[in-house]
Amino acid sequence: MRSRMTRRHERQGDASSGVVTWMRVHWPTLLVALYAVAAVSWTLPPEVFPPKPILDRVAGGPLLFLGLWQSWDMFSPDPRTDDICVEVVSVERDGRRRAWMLTDMVALDYVDRWRKDRWRKYCNDHLRLDANRHLWQPFAASCVRRLRAEGHDPVRIELVRWWRPCDPAVRPELRADVRRTPWSSYTFFAVPVAQETPR
Amino acid sequence: MMPVIAAVVRAASAFDRWVREPVDPRPLAWFRSWFGFLTLVNLWMLWPDMPLWLSNDGVLPPEVHRQTVYGAGLTVYLLTGYADAAIWVIRLLALVGGLGLWLGIWPRCAACCAWLAATSYSWRNLLILHSGDCLVRIGCFFLMFARTDGAASLPRWLGRRTEAGDRPPPAEVPAWPQRILQLQLCILYFVTGVWKATGATWRDGTAVGMVLQLGEFQRFPIPDFCMTPPASRLFTYGTLAFELGFPLLVWVPRLRLPVLAAGLAFHAGLDWTLNVQLFQWLITSYYILFLATPATGSRDPIQGRS
Repeated sequence: MRSRMTRRHERQGDASSGVVTWMRVHWPTLLVALYAVAAVSWTLPPEVFPPKPILDRVAGGPLLFLGLWQSWDMFSPDPRTDDICVEVVSVERDGRRRAWMLTDMVALDYVDRWRKDRWRKYCNDHLRLDANRHLWQPFAASCVRRLRAEGHDPVRIELVRWWRPCDPAVRPELRADVRRTPWSSYTFFAVPVAQETPR
Repeated sequence: MMPVIAAVVRAASAFDRWVREPVDPRPLAWFRSWFGFLTLVNLWMLWPDMPLWLSNDGVLPPEVHRQTVYGAGLTVYLLTGYADAAIWVIRLLALVGGLGLWLGIWPRCAACCAWLAATSYSWRNLLILHSGDCLVRIGCFFLMFARTDGAASLPRWLGRRTEAGDRPPPAEVPAWPQRILQLQLCILYFVTGVWKATGATWRDGTAVGMVLQLGEFQRFPIPDFCMTPPASRLFTYGTLAFELGFPLLVWVPRLRLPVLAAGLAFHAGLDWTLNVQLFQWLITSYYILFLATPATGSRDPIQGRS
């Protein structure tokens, strides 16, 4: 009886040491395969990859913690159908209105429109949306700080979104810099500016 | 049933060899160097606006940031908390990391610095990120585990100048970091192709015509014929075909160079037309990982021993 148990233990020990040896040799393969599955699952749309919810629940933690999360869905499933800009309007104490079109990329020179792409990302993809209204106040406050630093005295800040629809037809005269489609606008946030406390 | 199992076992075994057999270090080292330079350009563009994007007085004060963030990440903010000093830490890490990667000076440490900088600014403001930032984070992360000091390295070049005679070619290195980055590029193309294939405008051939109307992406002028329905269909279906075809065709040795050349032309066209910062440059930097080094005749970057 005793010797039979010993043999079973030895067999189990052999099996576990076999797994350890296999892992020692093959861990890169396992890592590459698991990473590939995790990345595919994380990035594919759920309707084409049914195991996504389960796999993402397992892989999501490490991917997020290590900064390996990713998304590859630019211009998809369909590109945006509206041309968009965000504008900041400042009303000064003397009643003058100043306006800055923040993301009218076509109006910028080539270097600036390249460098300021993150502005476009922030304003056009996030700031303008009603779902992101928690971003409006801090953005307005940062505008106030910047305006004051430049010597302005704003009493009111307005954030305005501008848009115009793309045309389903494709013609050279529809390119953004020559298109004559009229713009629409809507002031989505307006806030009075508290007077600066004298120091 | 048995032939299927045998085929699966053979495929798994081939995959195992492909991942574990060591490779010529040069494609990975060239990638590391060019990629490092691109991270420096990325830093140069991000630098002036960092206080706006990342500081407590910027567009995301801590109480607002907490509503946008996905949880804890491995970032410098774990140490600094919401301190504006973190901006200077990120700048320093990105600068040291980018220079180290570019010049091959302690490349693993450099990759670690660049990765930490990228994860930190990404965590602090998710809303300014583009796909290029994902490529930076992922590239830096796996370069931490890669031995890339065997080529494209300033210390090696200086050492060679002081030594007499020819130096032997660099020793082979573990392949898995290169494999994982090669697969990452294929996953990127495959996934983006699948996403697009689910869209109505990509299927009816009008998607590119629509994108070209968007002023926010417009970069340099394009010829009028690009804004016609036949050109829109050609570019739309061509994009789908390339993105879905690349992950398969790049593994065929005879097709690899034409596929990479087509990819370079594709991304050069996108970079001319669309204003998406460094994305096209970063994605094509991953192409270097697929380059063979025939001068050594030792190993093919895809097939293993030649």
